Amino acid sequence: MKYATQLLNKSSIKTRGLNWFALIPLLIFSIGFQIIPIISLISSSFSTKEGLSIENYQRAFTPHIAEAFRNSLKLSFTTAFLGVGLGLVVAYAIISTEKKFMKNALIALADVTTNFGGAPLAFAFIVTLGSTGVITLILKSMGVFLYPSFRIYSISGLAIAYLYFQLPLMIMLILPALQGLKKEWWEAAINMGANSMQFWARIGLPVLTPSLLSSFFILFANSFGAYATAWTLTGPDVNLITVQIASLIRGEVQLEIGLADALAVISLFIILFCVGGYLLLSTKAKRFRT
Amino acid sequence: MRMNKLLRSIVLAVFLLFMIVPLIATLLFSMSTRWDRTILPEGYTLEWWKTVISRGAFGLTLKNSFYISFATATALSILVTPTAYWVHIRMPKNKIIFEIMSAFSFGIPGVILALALIRFYSGVPLPLINTTNILLLACMELCFPFMYRPVANSLDSIDIHTLTEASQSLGGNWFATFIHIILPNILPGIASGFLLVFSTVFAEFTLTNLLVGARFKTFPIYLVEFTRFDGRQASALAIISFVVAWVVSTLLLLVSGKRALSPDNLTIGH
Repeated sequence: MKYATQLLNKSSIKTRGLNWFALIPLLIFSIGFQIIPIISLISSSFSTKEGLSIENYQRAFTPHIAEAFRNSLKLSFTTAFLGVGLGLVVAYAIISTEKKFMKNALIALADVTTNFGGAPLAFAFIVTLGSTGVITLILKSMGVFLYPSFRIYSISGLAIAYLYFQLPLMIMLILPALQGLKKEWWEAAINMGANSMQFWARIGLPVLTPSLLSSFFILFANSFGAYATAWTLTGPDVNLITVQIASLIRGEVQLEIGLADALAVISLFIILFCVGGYLLLSTKAKRFRT
Repeated sequence: MRMNKLLRSIVLAVFLLFMIVPLIATLLFSMSTRWDRTILPEGYTLEWWKTVISRGAFGLTLKNSFYISFATATALSILVTPTAYWVHIRMPKNKIIFEIMSAFSFGIPGVILALALIRFYSGVPLPLINTTNILLLACMELCFPFMYRPVANSLDSIDIHTLTEASQSLGGNWFATFIHIILPNILPGIASGFLLVFSTVFAEFTLTNLLVGARFKTFPIYLVEFTRFDGRQASALAIISFVVAWVVSTLLLLVSGKRALSPDNLTIGH
C-alpha cells in the first residue's frame, strides 16, 4: 500500500528539489504575509530615529495606556472566567437533556451564535440593554431602573456582549470533554459508596481540568484580541488596548506609529502565551478521549 | 450523572433567554413604528426594511461583501488544496509547515495583522496598500486554518496512497491524478472550508476598516455606519447578517455533517 509513496519518495536530489518547488506559492504567502510583517513589526517596535532603543516601550507606560492594558486584561479575565464557569454548567445541562431533538437544537444554537460576533451583535445588545432597550423597559416597568448606574456602552456592558459569544464557544469546546466522561466511572464510584459530590471532586473535575484550563486560555485570547464588538458598542469611549492600537493606525491620535508597534508586540505576546497554553493543554485533554 | 431536572430546566431557560432575546428584540425593533416607551413596540411596519433595501449603498456593500468573501474562499482553496495533497503524499513530515501557518493565523488578531501589514507594505512598491488586494491577502491569512483543516481531514479520511498508486499504475500523471481522483474524493472537505471562509470574511469588520477604510465598503462597515444614525435600519441590517451566518452554518452541516465550530476551526478576536 505504501508502494506509491516509496515510488514518489525516491530521494534523489532532483525529486527533493521538485517537492519543495511545489511549496513555493504557499511559502511565499506565509513569508510575505505572516513572517516578514510580524518580524518587521517587532524590529520597528525597538527602533527610533536614533537607532535601537526601548523608548517605544517606555512610552507605553503612560497612565492612559496602562489603563488600556488593565481594562483589556480585566475584561478578558472576567469574560473568560464567567464563560468557562457558566459554559460548563450549560453544557452539562445540555448533555443531561433526555430529548434528542432538544439536545440537538441547543447544540445548533450554540454553534450558530458563536459566529454572531462583531457589529451586528453589538447592535443587538444596544436594542436589548441600551437606555431604551427592551430589557431596560421591562425592568423599568417593574420599578428597577438600570440607567444611569449601568450603561451598555461601558466596560461592564461590553462584558455582557462578549459573553454572548464566549458562552457558546465554551459550550462547543467543552462538550467533547463532557461526553468523554464515562458512565462506567460514575457507576464504579457510586458502587464503591461515593456520593455525587465526591464523584465530581475526585474524578469528574480532575479529568476535566486540562480542558477547562485550555478553554480558559482560548476564551481569554478571544476576548483580548476582540475589536469590532467593542468599537461598535462603545466607540472610543472604552479604553481597550485593541481600540488604542486601531486609533493609532487610523491616525486619530497624533501619529505615533512606534508606540502602536510596541503595544501590538506586547499584546501579541500575551495572546501567543494563551494560544501556546491552549495548544499544550488541549493535547493533554485528549488523553481521556477514545 | 445527570443534572437534577429542575436545575437543568432553569439553567437551559436562562441560557435560551440570554441567547434569543437580543435576536428577537433586534427583529422587532427593525419592524417597529416606535419602541422606546412601551414594553412591546407601539406598532409594526416594514417601512425601515423597504428604505434600507432601496438604498444604492445596500446593494453595493452586499455585492462587495459577497465579492471579497467569494474571492478569499476561492483563492484559498486554490492555494491550499493542491499543496496539501502534495505534502500529504510526498512529504508528510512537512505537514508541520501547515500547522505552524495555522497557529500563526490563529494567534494574530485582526488589529495586529492590519498594523503589521500596513507598516511593512507601505514601504514596498507593490500595488497593495489601501487596495482590495491587501484586504484579500489579509483575509486569506486570517482564514488559512479554516481552509486547511477540513481539507486535511478529508485527505486523512481517504486512502490517498492507494488511490494515487492505482491512478499512476494506469498511467495518470500527478496533475491528472489530482484533478480526476483526489479532488472528487475530498470535495466535501473543500466545500466545508469554502463555507467557513466565506462566512468569516462576510462578517469581517476589523481588517476592512483598518486596511481599506471607506474605499471599499463592505456590509459590516455599512452596518456600523448605520448604528450611528438610524437604529431601525441598522437592526434590519443586523438581522440580515445573522441570517447569512445561520444559512452558511446550516449549509455547512448539510455538506459535511459537521458543526461549524469544532475546536479545530476556531477564530479569535471578534
